[in-house]
Amino acid sequence: MLETLANRYTYVLFALLLVVGLYMVVASSNLVKKIIGLNIFQTGLFLFFVTTAFVDGGSSPVIPKEADAGAAFASPLPQVLVLTAIVVGVALTAVALALVIRIYDAYGTLDEKTLREVRTDE
Amino acid sequence: MTELFAAALFVFVLVTALATAALRDVLGVVVVFAAYSLGTALFYAFLLAPDVAMTEAAIGAGVTTLLLLLTLAKTVRPTPDQWLERPNLPALAVFGALFVVLVATVVEFPAVGEPGVMWDNPGVTQYYIENAYEDTGVENAVTAVLAGYRGFDTFGEAVVVFSAGIASLIVLRQVVFTRE
Repeated sequence: MLETLANRYTYVLFALLLVVGLYMVVASSNLVKKIIGLNIFQTGLFLFFVTTAFVDGGSSPVIPKEADAGAAFASPLPQVLVLTAIVVGVALTAVALALVIRIYDAYGTLDEKTLREVRTDE
Repeated sequence: MTELFAAALFVFVLVTALATAALRDVLGVVVVFAAYSLGTALFYAFLLAPDVAMTEAAIGAGVTTLLLLLTLAKTVRPTPDQWLERPNLPALAVFGALFVVLVATVVEFPAVGEPGVMWDNPGVTQYYIENAYEDTGVENAVTAVLAGYRGFDTFGEAVVVFSAGIASLIVLRQVVFTRE
């Protein structure tokens, strides 16, 4: 069992990062920390994709003109998907943080519980 | 040697992730998160994805940290009454259960780096690896797929980034322009 997990260590880390990220989104009362949790969740997924592309003893997908027929390369496709996802992720983070600034401007707090109280008082 | 390096990376990424969840001071969390991004970038480089590693180092550790710090400067950094977050037990129980389910799934996956199991799909991966240079004239297959084979996807990504910029401007218009 332990060896099975050790051979799949990046998948285990992927599971851990997903859980830590989701926990932060749910349990942190600070809105900025929630967004950071979302980012951790994201990088966990990226790690999963990059792992599926990985080949033990291979090389990165830069293929020389005269490549040997038997040479092993990491798959370029999951890596491209992750590249796109990283850029989309930062765009998402930017919009979320803009909304956070706007919320602070309107309510003067970033704490989830205080926000809920202020909203019910209105 | 590589096992040792992988283990060190694993521990570093995990400890920084847990620290972001546990620390209460938001500025401290942002700084630890930057270190975490750098750790994941190293992990990607270790897993033969140098392009992903560079993007993560520049965007994850660079741009995201900058955005988070700007947000803190524009809003507030609450003075923490204690050093660590108080654990939320119901959430811990639910996500602990989720972790058990995920690990039960992960055990069925092929081992990390086992050649030709998950993405051994001759239709796509092998095609890219064999024909990228002939088709596009670029040795880096990732660049070839990003800008050549899947150029329209990259265009869609640019549209998303553009819309995000517009959306941020609309949201922040009142805050930035009326006050100054």
